[in-house]
Amino acid sequence: MKDSPPTGSPAIELHSATIGYGDVAIVRDVEVTVAAGEAVAVLGSNGSGKTTLARGLLGLAGVLDGQVRVLGAPVGGLRDPGRVGYVPQRHTISGAVPATVREVVAVGRLARLGLFRRLGRIDRSAVTEAVAAVGLEDRLDDPVASLSGGQQRRVLVARALAAEPELLIMDEPTAGVDAANQEALAAVLTRISAAGTTLVVVTHETAPLAGVLRRAVVVDHGRVAYDGPLEQAAAHEEPGMHHHPPAPRPSGYRQDQPRVTTGPRHDGDEER
Amino acid sequence: MDILDYDFMQRALLASLMVGLVAPAVGVFLVQRRLSLLGDGLGHVALTGVAVGVLTSTSPVWTALVAAVLGAVLIELVRARGRTSGDVALAVLFYGGIAGGVVLLSLAPRGQATNLDSYLFGAITTTSAQDVAVFAGISVVVLASVALLGQRLYAVSDDEEYARAVGLPVLGLNVVLAALVASTVVLSMRVVGLLLISALMIIPSAIAQLLARSFRQTVGLACVIGLVVSVSGTTTSFYAGTPSGGTIVLLAIGLFLLVSASVAVRDRTARRRHRRKVDVHDAHPHEHGDDCGHPPVPHGDHVDYDHDGHRHAPHRTGEGVHYDEHGAGPVGAPPSRRTG
Repeated sequence: MKDSPPTGSPAIELHSATIGYGDVAIVRDVEVTVAAGEAVAVLGSNGSGKTTLARGLLGLAGVLDGQVRVLGAPVGGLRDPGRVGYVPQRHTISGAVPATVREVVAVGRLARLGLFRRLGRIDRSAVTEAVAAVGLEDRLDDPVASLSGGQQRRVLVARALAAEPELLIMDEPTAGVDAANQEALAAVLTRISAAGTTLVVVTHETAPLAGVLRRAVVVDHGRVAYDGPLEQAAAHEEPGMHHHPPAPRPSGYRQDQPRVTTGPRHDGDEER
Repeated sequence: MDILDYDFMQRALLASLMVGLVAPAVGVFLVQRRLSLLGDGLGHVALTGVAVGVLTSTSPVWTALVAAVLGAVLIELVRARGRTSGDVALAVLFYGGIAGGVVLLSLAPRGQATNLDSYLFGAITTTSAQDVAVFAGISVVVLASVALLGQRLYAVSDDEEYARAVGLPVLGLNVVLAALVASTVVLSMRVVGLLLISALMIIPSAIAQLLARSFRQTVGLACVIGLVVSVSGTTTSFYAGTPSGGTIVLLAIGLFLLVSASVAVRDRTARRRHRRKVDVHDAHPHEHGDDCGHPPVPHGDHVDYDHDGHRHAPHRTGEGVHYDEHGAGPVGAPPSRRTG
């Protein structure tokens, strides 16, 4: 299935890296190495630069200085498509044209097929499994616009899972997702982490994924303030960051997110 | 039918059939990408190509194709480089295109066929046999590209940032889409006209969006709608003596208004029926949730709340949430799934 990188070769290497947009530096002098298979939380308050750091790994923010290598290749260079999965910090899927859950998630799988190959039988079942993993298999052929905000978040997670990436970078995957589905997400991440997928999760709340994430990188005012075990990270975060509800709602939190479970739970069918 | 007795009408109908099918197939991606007016801009640019063709006595279809594709590639490169200057650069290119076309055409020697109106708004008498052959070639290439790359084009149009993050060739796909739009613009220059082609790319898609549930359905439906309005508009223009492009676009807009109205009526009726069918708490004093004090009761595929002996099922609509009555009292074995 997946080409595992040679043992010991890091999934992510940042050497005195400065990342930003245009010529404005947002995070400076980052010195972080993530080994293949690690599960890392990137923590920090709003505006700390944690999202920019993640976007730098994806080639969506510029590397202004230093080195950033992802899966052995410099960011921005040519890369085998589909090896990196991404869940953006977006709460809704707002395409102008209707699309079904299946169609949106299929895009995730498409990335690993190159330019012309079509989705085969294995790819299509990977798509349905990814949708099932986030508990939306009964909505497969519904238009995404008919889903609630929290359900649309889960579609974006499924889109990333469908690629079965070696490195999965997620920006606030639990925001706006109800407790039951946060648990389901934690179960999925635990499983793919155990299978060797490297996880980088940008988040402001570690509680929902505390069982998965082992290491924390705390970003504060554009610099890495802490890098170590997750349990000791709290002391290095700014006051005002909370790990337990009631936390202030992050900006962009949608009021119409469901507070009830709208789909069946999926604790049983985790195998792929 | 006497309409088919005329050679020029046979050619015009063939051309309208092709442009009606192809324009929406490309247009859906533009709508998804929120670049609806790209086709309009490239139509402007194509006019300079037409003028060059007239002046050099080469076929204006070919020179228009070259100009539109060059313009399309240029636009994508400008867009990829930056945002702030991009907008102005597009305006310069678009209006430069139409101004260049008008000025160059005015320099054409007397006696040359320089009927500007027919290029801009379409005319049924202008399609030559050679045009039909070129149009057929363009149609095959465009439709084959959409069939081959459609899913990738969808991916990039839907979420460009995600596509870039996972390593899809975003710039390449954007250039391909722009080149397809440019080719479609040229396809339009006989029957629909360079200033109106954008409408035939966008409006069928807008109608299909109201009716379809998936992207694939939207593309298929938009092509059918494009085909129907294009051929029937061309036919109407023959009998009514009106310019074909304008007639086709007015038909499309009429259909759009009709479908919008029907969908609005359908939605309102469905809402009213829903209200009649189940008791609805419109003005519920609070939103049920984990902390409202009313115990949640699993009910089929959703959760009801036991509100003083009634089961309240949240029903989310575009306007917010209301509660449907799902029977009295908590249940041990939930009844079979019901829609609510």
